[in-house]
Amino acid sequence: MLKINNATKSFAGIVAVDNCSFAIKQGTISALIGPNGAGKTTLFNCISRIYPIDSGQIFYKNHRLDLMPAHKIARLGIGRSFQITRTLDQLSVTENLALHTAGGIGSHLFHPGITTENRLKACEVMEFLGISTLADVDMGTLSFGQKKLLDLGTVLMADPDLILLDEPAAGINLRLLEDIINKLVTLKNQGKTILLIEHNMDLVMGISDEVIVMSAGIIIAQGKPSEIQKNAKVLEAYLGSKA
Amino acid sequence: MVSNQTELIMLGVMKILKEKGSFLLNNKKIIPFLILIVLTGLPIIQFFGNYNYLIHIVLFSFLYITMSSSWNIIGGYGGFISLGHNVFFGIGAYFSGFIFVRYGISPFITALIAGLVAALFGFVVGFITLRVKGPSYIISSIALLMIFRILFDRWELIGGTHGMTLPHNTFPVEWSKIPHYYALLLLMVLSIYLSWYIRHSKFGLALRSISHDEIKSAVTGINVKIIKVTAYALSAYFIGAAGAIWGDYLTYVRPNIFFIILIAANMVLMCILGGKGTVTGPIIGTIVMIFFNEFILAYFGATELNIFFTGFLMIITLMYFPEGIVGSLKKRKLLPGFLDWG
Repeated sequence: MLKINNATKSFAGIVAVDNCSFAIKQGTISALIGPNGAGKTTLFNCISRIYPIDSGQIFYKNHRLDLMPAHKIARLGIGRSFQITRTLDQLSVTENLALHTAGGIGSHLFHPGITTENRLKACEVMEFLGISTLADVDMGTLSFGQKKLLDLGTVLMADPDLILLDEPAAGINLRLLEDIINKLVTLKNQGKTILLIEHNMDLVMGISDEVIVMSAGIIIAQGKPSEIQKNAKVLEAYLGSKA
Repeated sequence: MVSNQTELIMLGVMKILKEKGSFLLNNKKIIPFLILIVLTGLPIIQFFGNYNYLIHIVLFSFLYITMSSSWNIIGGYGGFISLGHNVFFGIGAYFSGFIFVRYGISPFITALIAGLVAALFGFVVGFITLRVKGPSYIISSIALLMIFRILFDRWELIGGTHGMTLPHNTFPVEWSKIPHYYALLLLMVLSIYLSWYIRHSKFGLALRSISHDEIKSAVTGINVKIIKVTAYALSAYFIGAAGAIWGDYLTYVRPNIFFIILIAANMVLMCILGGKGTVTGPIIGTIVMIFFNEFILAYFGATELNIFFTGFLMIITLMYFPEGIVGSLKKRKLLPGFLDWG
């Protein structure tokens, strides 16, 4: 489904993603873990073409993502959330959600800002996230946790096939976290593919089919959660090596 | 007894007036429609005397409402503060003026084509300049204006610094402004409609999203580049068309009239004063600024004190109404419904 071949990205000499290769299968949940600064978010940004990669290829189905502009990648059915939420504070919550079903320039010019279809879908998403009362509130007045939820909501709005989630659990209360986990499993059962970055190990080990571990820009391990927990390299990256 | 009855009737009348009044104020259509009827019929006063000054001030307001509403598309919704937008004003004026002088075709016929030329030009310029944002963009827009000033100053075919003198229409003095009056009224209505349409379309939503966060917009599937360049071209259209009419009104087109930063600055200030990013903001801002300016001129004469007071007005606005008149009233929920067009 998603295949990354020798992707490298450096910023002014600092190699953030170093010759990474991995593939994820359709209908699975994969987790990308690693210490802070390992290059996980940079890799996400390379997949959604916020940054161009320096070398290597990224394939999605039969498309080369590294040769496409960001908006085309989104229209292929790849949705992503952000670690530091990027919500549009001057727009209302419904407007933020409605943005995510955008088509080409023609459909932009000849459709109202929020179509009936958008509104129905937005209601559904907000109901799931338990924030229906916020529909007409300005995004800027929401708390961090609520914005985080809406960031997930905006991904769900577009109904993508491949979902990239950057730390979906950060700042979310436990009760809701369970709901989110259940929703992710439901999405997986519907055939969606999910790749998530997460520091919450209970969540990662609980729902992932596969775990990919990154450290200092390099992929150091990939495998089932049970294998990863025993992997010596992973333990070293997280806990430090023995003296 | 009698006084009691009168009192009751008075109370009843006041109650009805209050209810009807608030209905009128909050209906989005009735008041704008009435204003439009009054404006359409206004030239009738020329039958009763020579009110050329009033006609001039009103059509001057039409011109600036057209321009500030158009500027608002890219500057208000899109967040690109362009201080070179009068380049399109000049292009429209010169295009129609040149055709009038050479081939005798009136700018009233070519104005809409002049708008197209301006929009096409806007499309090309937008592709080049809309890469940068914020202060860098403002500077690049001023640079565009300076390039055009130099180009038109040197271009002999269209008269260089002397520009071109256009033939004057042969109507009697009290009717000579009326064609421009109606042409600018039409352009104003169309430009406000365009602004309203964009504000409520998906295109406008995408544009507002781009103004806040281009990366976020791109990952939601918005073709950022095309949307902003199209918005830029659309915002150039009516400014170009208005330029054609204005050239004919002045009967001469010259670089030092059309390619000066004051015109662009006026558009920006009017939008900020009224509330940029709202549909009615530029309209209110323009009316307040033009009438304030005329008032000061009438009281203090041509002392340039009007510029001082305009600056003072801007400072007061930015301090107490940072989102402009319409924006601030809307935020405090004090905006009457007939001004709340989004």
